[in-house]
Amino acid sequence: MNKTINLTLKIWRQKDRSDKGRFETTPARDISTDMSFLEMLDVVNERLTLEGREPIAFEHDCREGICGSCGTMVNGRAHGPLKGTSLCQLHMRHFKDGDTLTIEPWRARAFPVIKDLVVDRSAYDRIIQAGGYVSVNTGSAPEANTLPVPPELAEKAMDAAACIGCGACVAACPNASAMLFVSAKISQLALLPQGRPEADRRALAMVRAMDACGFGNCSNHRECENACPKEISIANIARLNREFLHAGFISHET
Amino acid sequence: MRLDAKIPAGPLAQKWDRHRFETKLVNPANRRKYSILVVGTGLAGASASASLAELGYDVKTFCIHDSPRRAHSIAAQGGINAAKNYPNDGDSIWRLFYDTVKGGDFRAREANVYRLAQVSNAIIDQCTAQGVPFAREYGGLLANRSFGGAQLSRTFYARGQTGQQLLLGAYSAMMRQAAAGRVHLFPRREMLDLVVVNGQARGIVARNLLTGEIERHAGHAVLLCTGGYGNVYFLSTNAKACNVTATYRAYKRGAFFANPCFTQIHPTCIPVHGTYQSKLTLMSESLRNDGRVWVPKTPGDKRAPTEIPEAERDYFLERKYPSFGNLVPRDVASRNAKEQCDQGKGVGDTGLAVYLDFADAIQRDGKATIAKKYGNLFQMYEKITGDDPYRTPMMIYPAVHYTMGGLWVDYNLMSTVPGLFVLGEANFSDHGANRLGASALMQGLADGYFVIPATIGGYLAGTRFEAVTTGDAGFADAERQVAEQTRRLLSIGGKRTVDDFHRQLGLTMWDHCGMSRTNAGLERARAVIRELRAEFWRDVRVPGSAADLNQSLEKAGRVADFMEFAELMVLDALARQESCGGHFNEAFQTEENEARRDDQNFCHVAAWEFTGEGRDPNLHKEPLSFENVQLTQRSYK
Amino acid sequence: MNWLTAALGSSVGKKLMMALTGLAFIGFLAAHLAGNLLMIAGREAFNGYAERLQSLGPILQLFRAGLIGFALVHILTGLYLFLQNRKARPVRYEKDTSAGGRTISSRTMPYTGLLILAFVVFHLFHFTWTDKGARTIFDLVAAAFNQPWAVLLYAAAMIVVALHVRHGFWSAFQSVGASHPKTMPAVMALSWTAGGLVAFGFGLLPFFMLIRY
Ligand SMILES: Cc1cc2nc3c(=O)[nH]c(=O)nc-3n(C[C@H](O)[C@H](O)[C@H](O)COP(=O)(O)OP(=O)(O)OC[C@H]3O[C@@H](n4cnc5c(N)ncnc54)[C@H](O)[C@@H]3O)c2cc1C
Ligand code: HEM
Ligand code: SF4
Ligand code: FES
Repeated sequence: MNKTINLTLKIWRQKDRSDKGRFETTPARDISTDMSFLEMLDVVNERLTLEGREPIAFEHDCREGICGSCGTMVNGRAHGPLKGTSLCQLHMRHFKDGDTLTIEPWRARAFPVIKDLVVDRSAYDRIIQAGGYVSVNTGSAPEANTLPVPPELAEKAMDAAACIGCGACVAACPNASAMLFVSAKISQLALLPQGRPEADRRALAMVRAMDACGFGNCSNHRECENACPKEISIANIARLNREFLHAGFISHET
Repeated sequence: MRLDAKIPAGPLAQKWDRHRFETKLVNPANRRKYSILVVGTGLAGASASASLAELGYDVKTFCIHDSPRRAHSIAAQGGINAAKNYPNDGDSIWRLFYDTVKGGDFRAREANVYRLAQVSNAIIDQCTAQGVPFAREYGGLLANRSFGGAQLSRTFYARGQTGQQLLLGAYSAMMRQAAAGRVHLFPRREMLDLVVVNGQARGIVARNLLTGEIERHAGHAVLLCTGGYGNVYFLSTNAKACNVTATYRAYKRGAFFANPCFTQIHPTCIPVHGTYQSKLTLMSESLRNDGRVWVPKTPGDKRAPTEIPEAERDYFLERKYPSFGNLVPRDVASRNAKEQCDQGKGVGDTGLAVYLDFADAIQRDGKATIAKKYGNLFQMYEKITGDDPYRTPMMIYPAVHYTMGGLWVDYNLMSTVPGLFVLGEANFSDHGANRLGASALMQGLADGYFVIPATIGGYLAGTRFEAVTTGDAGFADAERQVAEQTRRLLSIGGKRTVDDFHRQLGLTMWDHCGMSRTNAGLERARAVIRELRAEFWRDVRVPGSAADLNQSLEKAGRVADFMEFAELMVLDALARQESCGGHFNEAFQTEENEARRDDQNFCHVAAWEFTGEGRDPNLHKEPLSFENVQLTQRSYK
Repeated sequence: MNWLTAALGSSVGKKLMMALTGLAFIGFLAAHLAGNLLMIAGREAFNGYAERLQSLGPILQLFRAGLIGFALVHILTGLYLFLQNRKARPVRYEKDTSAGGRTISSRTMPYTGLLILAFVVFHLFHFTWTDKGARTIFDLVAAAFNQPWAVLLYAAAMIVVALHVRHGFWSAFQSVGASHPKTMPAVMALSWTAGGLVAFGFGLLPFFMLIRY
């Protein structure tokens, strides 16, 4: 407990969208192993500020693994080396004194870098806008228990719904494909009876929106499910494929 | 100014129906001519944006985050209450109403709380229809659990991620309206001022957090759904971006701030473990269903917990509250933990923690059962602390969690500035001096889905609007002030960072305006805050420029407001010479160390009016009258 | 027919085409392998099989045309996907570590694919579009595999095909939505089996011929 370590950070710095960017090397000294990764960055930023330099911009908010704000590549791994863990929940006890950490932003054409480690993930919002919802106006919902849902289905839907929209799946995918994210939402709503009426339309619209954003295609490398902090399964991608193929070739939706 | 809560006449149960009947309606064809600015996309803001757009209003929605889905509501774990009475255990709208009023230590308005209980069921219906994957029973019907010490099961939940699922539901409904062109989204915008024209809220000034540009937005009404201000303490369970800026600046433009000293301290959080710590993590309250809270009997006992024999442990909650035991309400559990630590019996490196022990539960039910119930919480705890709670007891300590205070609103959720509505945690309305578990989600969604769509029409239909454009003087003036503050912050170039100041402010507030307060401490805090504020403006260092993404600048602006707001909290705490709910003044306690209310003198809402920079605010009182419940002393023995 | 091009042209549609054509190739490989194994049974058996195949006439032509059509679809779509995927990440990572998903097979699909293409062209020149003279097909093959370089080349090519099939097989199931957590282990096992059969079945035949004839 309460050990401290010293690290070297090789970290991506980029002033704005148009800047080419470059790696900068800076030390992280006297880092308590009880700190979270983001707290380690805080410490570095405090020092940079006092030295009259600009702190490293990185995104974060909840710091408990649920908002999906945080995330960078750490030594080539999205959210760092710990499975099923977002960057904010990664603690420094998983690193050794003297380690060098290469810290890079998510890289994808659809996620342009805004500054340092901050990227623009608005593509995700555009995909959800295309159909990631059930069309029910406020007030028109029936009594909640009129439609029983088998608990296994509800559980599977919940597994998919746990996605925090962090973008690690895209970042980790060799093709920068967003299939895991899209499949999570499509699965959640396709599994529940509430989402069935619009399932075909939703699958077509969300896949189209995804394609339009400039993500890559899925080659079934399975990097996504291994990098996902919520361990969303690629079984959802298979379901997305089923839903899409049904919608595209069998349903009346066009 | 007399505060008029505009509570409708008639019997409690009929007030809301009657009010909706008597409220003017806006002709559907005219609705799109009304432009509504919604600030915030948490449960309150997202649900309001969706519902108003569905009605046909032209909605513009703002949030700080890169995506509206990331609002702080996403972090709520435990659940949401409703009076469905599915388990047939005696629940009813009346009982939910009563429990909420009592839980709030009789410092909330009866009519508001009753309405909240009334619409609670429709919230569950709405969310279920949206595809929120609530937990279900074997037969496929919705499951309930008991939560936060309630005597019955009325809490709906989606694993430990209820807030996330409810927010994603509201977000998706809002995105549907965005696709339809009726909600215009402005993410990465921070509202920095409210624009009041001829006494009406007619717009906001916001900073584009990517370009630094100060933008002006005009509308017919402004809805603040900007959440709570728990981060005034620096360390809290709130997300890092939670702030008081939007509500505080509205306060400075004439909206009264109500009960700012009412804050909730949650008993089961992971203790602070270092000076670098940036935030605190809540461990769900449900852990207290099976965990036993204890400390060593002898102060300063440094043995490992497993080495302390049963006879030398003090299960202080079970000892003091034989009937509720470990399940006493949040404020009681928190204060008792602090009391033990103050006596030197605290555990862990810092001495600021108590044990929450599952050994007995594991022995009784087996590890598998406990893992099924709390597996992911145990895992989270282990991730953060590196300790395995199956083998050694958890350490917990209270942390700031929720703020009951907020902008004063009437029954229509309108503040003292006409056209400025306040929803969700940002308003002061329904929880009195203490909020019960699983009721904030309920309130945020009640406000957004059901209350505001009904009440805003009355305001819009009954008000004459002059044409206002963003070129008007009010906008220019607000923009100038915002730009001036930014310039000042960037030009100080001092020697201390923003976080450094924020930490110190937080510590002061925690020590003197936290779980337990004294008049002397509060006075001292006031002096410290003033000094700190002066030092902040002399010695803060904000790097970078105003013309791009500058996270230090964003923080600096928020901390600047916290510095002023903290003093208002202290003033409010000093003015309320009683103890109630989360406000515990040591001078006012029963022999059993419980909060002693003074219903004679303080059965009111304290609403503060800004009177100018450097001047003391004016206190207005809205008396609370209880016609349907009887004021009692809470007892959990 | 707008709906058809829209569906096929989408990312999921393209993968559907890859999967169906790829599975068809695997079917072809299976038949091809079954036929080739007759070589072990000797000259008559194999030549008889070859003659019967030739006697199918138009049906065989139809099969060939189909295979060529499928090949065009598979190759062109595969290349298009490959280029699109590269474009989706214009700036590469400085450090790129696997989280445990990708395999040698999955990573090399486009390259093994291109090698297969090159091999198939060679293979056709070698045995199909060649002047057989008076020799039977069996003799032709036996003669070819008398040369160690040819044996090694074919064996190497089969390892490449095996790599492609090892990932391609289960991947195709996933792409058409036919995989499921319950069946996934079985499909994975089959995928390995298919790869193994290709490597050993096709790959050992040249050695057999070299040693035996
Ligand atoms: C860890 C935790 C667990 C909880 N668990 C429960 C629970 O189980 N049950 C329960 O009922 N309650 C729970 N609560 C309380 C509950 O989550 C919150 O009270 C509620 O979600 C607040 O919702 P809101 O919509 O009012 O605000 P928020 O969700 O806080 O949203 C605020 C929004 O305003 C925006 N914003 C803020 N300032 C500005 C500005 N200046 N300009 C532009 N936009 C701005 C933000 O971007 C955000 O979109 C929990 C709270 C915490 C901290
Ligand atoms: C014997 C010949 C071949 C067989 C049996 C075969 C089989 C397959 C199969 C089954 C797939 C999986 C499809 C999916 O993931 O849905 C696949 C993918 C692929 N094939 Fe082939 N293939 C063959 C030849 C080729 C050739 C000649 C190329 C030339 C470029 C090629 C390029 C690819 C590529 C690039 C992919 C990956 C597509 C992706 O996932 O993005 N293949 N193949
Ligand atoms: S699927 Fe997983 S990795 Fe992808 S966005 Fe969702 S939570 Fe992040
Ligand atoms: S900061 Fe919210 S998930 Fe990491």
